[in-house]
Amino acid sequence: MADPRPVRVLIAALGGEGGGVLASWITNAAVAAGHVAQRTSIPGVAQRTGATTYYLEILTALANDAKPVLALNPAPGEVDVMLSSELLETTRAVQAGSITPTRTHLIASTHRVFTVDEKSAMADGRVDPARMQEVLRKFSKSAVLADLAATARDAGSHLNAVMLGALSGIKVLPIAADFFRAAIRAEGKAVDSNLRGFEAGYALAVGGTQPQADTKAMAQAPHADNELDALAISLLPREAAEIAIEGIRRLTNYQDQRYASLYLDRLERFAKNKNASAELLRELARLLAVRMSFEDTIRVAQLKIREGRIERLRREAGVEGEALIRVSEFMKPGPEEIFSMLPPKLARRTLAWIERRGWSERSVKMRVSTTGFFGFLRLRLLAGLRWWRLHTLRYEEEKVWTERWLDLTERALSQSPEAAKAVVASAALVKGYGETMKRGLKNWSLLADFVIEPFLEGKLPRDHFADAVTQGRIAALKDPDGKPLGALIEALRALPRPQQIAAE
Amino acid sequence: MAEVSFHSEIKSLTLGKGEVFRGEGILGVTKALLQSGVAYVGGYQGAPVSHLLDVLVQSEDLLSELGVHLETCTNEAAAAAMLGASINYPLRGAVTWKSIVGTNVAADALSNLASAGVIGGALIVVGEDYGEGASVIQERTHAFALKSSLWLLDPRPELPAIVHMVEKGFELSEASNTPVMLELRIRACHVYGSFEAKDNVAAKFSTNHRIPVPATFEYDRLSHPPATFAQEKHKTEQRLPQAQKFILENKLNEVLGPESGDVGIIVQGGLFNVLNGRLALAGLSDSFGNVKVPTLVLNVTYPLVPEQIAKFCAGKRSVLIVEEGNPEFIEQSVGQILRKADLNTKIFGKDVLPLAGEYTPLVIARGLTKFFEANGSTLPTLGEWIEQTDAHQKEVASALGSPLPPRPPTFCTGCPERPVFSAMKLLKKEMGPVHVAADIGCHAFGTFAPFSQGNSILGYGMSLASAAAVSGTQKKRPVSIMGDGGFWHNGLLTGVAGATFNKTDSVLIVMNNGYSSATGLQDIPSSAPEQDGRGNGLEIETTLKSLGVSWVKRQRTYGVKGMMDALRDALTSKEQGLKVVIADGECQLARQRRVKPAFAKLKNEGKRVERTRFWIDPDVCTGDHSCIRLSGCPSLTIKPNEDPLRPDPIAHVNNDCVGCGLCGEVAHAAQLCPSFAEIKVIENPNVFDRLRHRIASALIRLMGGNRAAPMPAPAE
Repeated sequence: MADPRPVRVLIAALGGEGGGVLASWITNAAVAAGHVAQRTSIPGVAQRTGATTYYLEILTALANDAKPVLALNPAPGEVDVMLSSELLETTRAVQAGSITPTRTHLIASTHRVFTVDEKSAMADGRVDPARMQEVLRKFSKSAVLADLAATARDAGSHLNAVMLGALSGIKVLPIAADFFRAAIRAEGKAVDSNLRGFEAGYALAVGGTQPQADTKAMAQAPHADNELDALAISLLPREAAEIAIEGIRRLTNYQDQRYASLYLDRLERFAKNKNASAELLRELARLLAVRMSFEDTIRVAQLKIREGRIERLRREAGVEGEALIRVSEFMKPGPEEIFSMLPPKLARRTLAWIERRGWSERSVKMRVSTTGFFGFLRLRLLAGLRWWRLHTLRYEEEKVWTERWLDLTERALSQSPEAAKAVVASAALVKGYGETMKRGLKNWSLLADFVIEPFLEGKLPRDHFADAVTQGRIAALKDPDGKPLGALIEALRALPRPQQIAAE
Repeated sequence: MAEVSFHSEIKSLTLGKGEVFRGEGILGVTKALLQSGVAYVGGYQGAPVSHLLDVLVQSEDLLSELGVHLETCTNEAAAAAMLGASINYPLRGAVTWKSIVGTNVAADALSNLASAGVIGGALIVVGEDYGEGASVIQERTHAFALKSSLWLLDPRPELPAIVHMVEKGFELSEASNTPVMLELRIRACHVYGSFEAKDNVAAKFSTNHRIPVPATFEYDRLSHPPATFAQEKHKTEQRLPQAQKFILENKLNEVLGPESGDVGIIVQGGLFNVLNGRLALAGLSDSFGNVKVPTLVLNVTYPLVPEQIAKFCAGKRSVLIVEEGNPEFIEQSVGQILRKADLNTKIFGKDVLPLAGEYTPLVIARGLTKFFEANGSTLPTLGEWIEQTDAHQKEVASALGSPLPPRPPTFCTGCPERPVFSAMKLLKKEMGPVHVAADIGCHAFGTFAPFSQGNSILGYGMSLASAAAVSGTQKKRPVSIMGDGGFWHNGLLTGVAGATFNKTDSVLIVMNNGYSSATGLQDIPSSAPEQDGRGNGLEIETTLKSLGVSWVKRQRTYGVKGMMDALRDALTSKEQGLKVVIADGECQLARQRRVKPAFAKLKNEGKRVERTRFWIDPDVCTGDHSCIRLSGCPSLTIKPNEDPLRPDPIAHVNNDCVGCGLCGEVAHAAQLCPSFAEIKVIENPNVFDRLRHRIASALIRLMGGNRAAPMPAPAE
């Protein structure tokens, strides 16, 4: 007689997701169906958000009380069913050999719980989900891949119940669906909602999942709402015009039409440049709009009292029914944010005086209630200062910065279109408030002074230009303390000067 | 009270003869203790054996019915010392802890216990925290067994075997007057299986039937000279042979497979299942453990029985010793046994298997292949499997392109310890770095991103002691971090008393969260006494003062600025000596377990209740994530930005937020950004709330705001 081989099931979950309950449902259903089942787990410090695994082996009904020796460790290449609750962790399981093309039926949720590394990146540190899904499909025998967390939410249930349903649905285990349902009932906790989740998961697995359709609607021709939009369409290639129209809307709301037309004037300069690709123009239109709608205190006030904000807040915070909310906003403007609202000369003098007194680090801690009348009034008055914005020091500083950035881009265009693209992209370093803003400006200035300018002036070999600027931007985003950028600048200094090369 | 409730499992502890017990390994051990007639139990929590203690604490009713004395010991040394009851009295006792660390703490008492020897069976259930999922230094408990003459059981990882070895362990202990350790690896502690139960046995002497007269004075039972010299002799001349005789007669070790063969395998019981799986793949066994290679399964890994080893090896060309961890104690012993028996069998072990690390299926497969190759045969199926596995890993790596980011564990949502590290990170920016002595407990997560703080970890409750010489040789005062668990476990004496005694100029932060949280929310002496808890409400502050600490500040952890001020004071104060900041904040896991159902109940009853949570304005957030670098809260995460002009993901507070307030505090303390808002949600608002809301809304509308925000429909 051939040696009966157990069916092996591995569950990967994050702490608190109910992986343990899922494992016990499967074990109990297997035992009830007359099989021998063993399971174990590596909870580690799992109760605290870490990754956890549960491993089960199930042997179908055995003759004469035979006592199987079941394994406690999943062996690579030998897992028949993998249930996994989070995309990155599922991908990790592929790496560990727990999901293999010849054997493993995969049931995995595609939702993400981001790791600290991904979350704390200064720009976008997320692992590419499309690539992970591709790996999962490629390396599994069959795959139920869907946002099961969403399925659970829709069913008013928990993720683990949906996964149990999907497991039953793929019919790989020798256990009829009713044994799983009975296991849920026997456990006796949240039975109705768990059964709902089970059925939803079952239906999903039976119905099969399609690779998620591209949600982006087919690109339509940009539509002009006003003269400026029309001008943008006539000036710019289509992909850049789309963005420019969004920019015009943003800046009209931010300041006024005149300001939006300044935006378009600035873009026009590049639209006429033969070296400027559509791709460059699109990024330029985007970043210019972002930089021109810089977040001064007036802007923050504008955003905090905009229409529909409270509804959005209620929706996102899951506030339902007739519950009332009181919102208090955390604001803490420092001297620079407050006094840069004065005209440049006066503002500079005031700030210098504050600096001399050693008060630069001081700030006004405010909690403003936007659902209360007086709080609203304060922000309303502040937002009403928008007419004054173009007379402030902050505006002047932003103007100088923007002109320099545009100037560098223009000069770079005449030397290397690729490098110009990198110069455009460098504007992404400048963002945020307070400390963040200062750090971004400082990094950008370092990049401009010690990387971009030397290249433009021919002090560094031109074939490194584009790459150096891009690397500089990435380095500045790598670490808030700015060490990698400093190291990069040092490395550039060591490059042979073009004249030296010529002399050799 | 502990995090996990075992109320349904506890019922199975009352099963009687012939009934089928189903449950996890560690619960099976509990049942086996009761079947063995224990008189007293105790221990100190720690993975993977925390549940053993949790189950015992939660089954106090059953224990008192059987007359079992239960002690939740303050540390492992206390637990080991408690076994002293078995020196003089015919009481069976069992204690448990996490090893290697717990055994280290217990070492003093263990040596003394082992020297004196026992008359009542003494069993120590150690959770061998080794390999995947382990949280401590990687060492072997085996070394302690060797040096103190404690017998070490390492049963096959399935419930019947584990239960059998618990029962036999007591008999072995009594037969050889020696305490016995039962070692269970992580997966064995959590393995779910079944066994046929027996009736529970009430001990002859117990809390219900107390011993009428104390033991008579017998100097020889003291671990004190000159008795210690006789005890050392007794260990080697009497107890060891008695134990070896018992092991042989009771067939505690198993000889499996054919009677004879060219090669054989000697394996630790706990590793048998992994070995069998690979042998089965090689065609040398099956799913029922019918090995085709002679195999000696050591369910007792110390002492070995020389005759048994010699008999097994005789006539074999080679044996492979499958022994996890280092040093290779068993291999060394077997070598000596064979040499003395003048047997020429070649020993393979750590030459074909790695010295360090867990023996996973892949590791064992590689070892087996090498062993068989060295002995002139091949295992083609196993070799093929190894090749496939290696090829798969390469293929996946290239398909992925770049390595995946790690997922270290972190503080729970709303954890009261997180803000302390936020404050320390902010203070570091302000004052420059200081030496940070970290400790064991949830706060050790502060060593991971985004905080990355801590220069050393020297053991549970050891942080302050570990900074003693640092404080004496460094310009800036070091900061030591200790949990309340570590404080009562050890830190109070080794750290605080030592520092006041030596007038150490140092700063200590005590995380006062009310429980031993990292191990599963067990009560500690300072836990608040509750209905079903065992807390005693001891005050850390009073304790510190009574030890002579004059500089003590209490600070609510969530107040980041207050915490920064307190730490700054402590670091810069002119006052010499120990300065302690007690960081107050109840473990949020425990708090939410209490608060959530209470809130839901009131809400459903239609009562007015308020809850707080945080929200990030997606239009104001610029996606720099500074807030995350100062928090790392699981509920403070990222989401795609809907704004077509800004593709970087923005920060986002998900619905797990418990409203601890750290987000806002950090935004203020670090002067970060104005995108945070605190939302107070008022469920079932009363007339006054409605009126206030209506007036404010009307006035706001008058000012041109909130046009799209109609008043929610009032309840009828």
